[in-house]
Amino acid sequence: MTRFGLAVALAVPLAAAAALSAAAQEPAAQEPAAPAPPASTGFEAAEAGAQEDPREVVGAPRGPALSGPALDARTEEVGALLRCPVCQGLSVADSPATMATNMKARVRELLAAGYDEEQILAYFERSYGEFVRLEPPRRGINWLVWLAPPMALLGGLVLVRRTMRRSPAPTPTEGVPARDALPADPVLARNVLRIRELAYGWPGGVPPADPQ
Amino acid sequence: MNRRVLAAGLLVVAPLLGILVLNIGRDPHAFNSPMIGRPAPVFTLKPAGGGAPVSLAALRGRPVVINFWATWCVPCYEEHAVLVAGAREAGDGVQFLGVIYEDEEDRVGDFLARQGSAYPSLLDDDGKTAMAYGIYGVPETFFVDAQGRIAAKYTGPLHRTALAENLDRAREGKP
Repeated sequence: MTRFGLAVALAVPLAAAAALSAAAQEPAAQEPAAPAPPASTGFEAAEAGAQEDPREVVGAPRGPALSGPALDARTEEVGALLRCPVCQGLSVADSPATMATNMKARVRELLAAGYDEEQILAYFERSYGEFVRLEPPRRGINWLVWLAPPMALLGGLVLVRRTMRRSPAPTPTEGVPARDALPADPVLARNVLRIRELAYGWPGGVPPADPQ
Repeated sequence: MNRRVLAAGLLVVAPLLGILVLNIGRDPHAFNSPMIGRPAPVFTLKPAGGGAPVSLAALRGRPVVINFWATWCVPCYEEHAVLVAGAREAGDGVQFLGVIYEDEEDRVGDFLARQGSAYPSLLDDDGKTAMAYGIYGVPETFFVDAQGRIAAKYTGPLHRTALAENLDRAREGKP
């Protein structure tokens, strides 16, 4: 009885973890949170290497401009939240790919300019979609990914508890034949009596009368 | 009781297994770019082989084809002739641009000398342009309309029909 309960208790979190991974792979259809850039880009710079101003994508920097060890640490932290687009399930912080190195450098630049974590994630999300975030943002259908596993685990625990309460442990004597019981087959019965005689020293294999 | 527990387990596991099975073999990268319909990120980049920097903002007013490519990419060889022919046919009506993805200027020069060229190929040394366009690999081609919006994106080596269809989208200015 409890085997099924146990199987379910094991299957539920495992399946939930599998779903989490599948859902994390699922690019969401919804629009990225980044505000749409204004119709006029206002881009005037003509120097080679000039790019669009991140302000046009995610607005003015909302955080402090970082530098030194704080900048290094934050670059790693934010890089760990971004998926390397050319790798298989690696973060930008962990991947040695050129693209990941370039993205990490961009993260560093944006942090040094004062953009906060959410702005940086939104900046990359504008180009790559939600897929670029290694953690699905907590919004819309994504809540399922965050809430389903703990709820399934909780459900599994409740199920195990209920199953264990309903089926008390079997008593040791249950299903064990009485000591003088004999099989119906006469040949087998003879052998059982002989074994009892040899094993217990009962004459003829018959148990002695109960002292009680 | 056993059946009920089994049914409950199946109820949870079966849909999840279904999702997994349906997603086997599906490339998570293969989905529409979120950039379509949005303003094309502007850039000013130096062409390989020298010359004045090319600015996307300065090309506003006519469709632009932006092809991300590299010499180490075999499908880029395949599509190169299609792009060169397309650029020659389109003439001044459409501006074609190549953006070099993770490659060296010398190799690009050799490649263009051998394979021919009809438009500038720009150097994106720090990969910022590739990042702004959300490039996953090469070749990837963006079709920008005259208003500077991305009308279409094509992943993989372009062939004549795909080039013509996507160019039409850029000319019409409808994603």
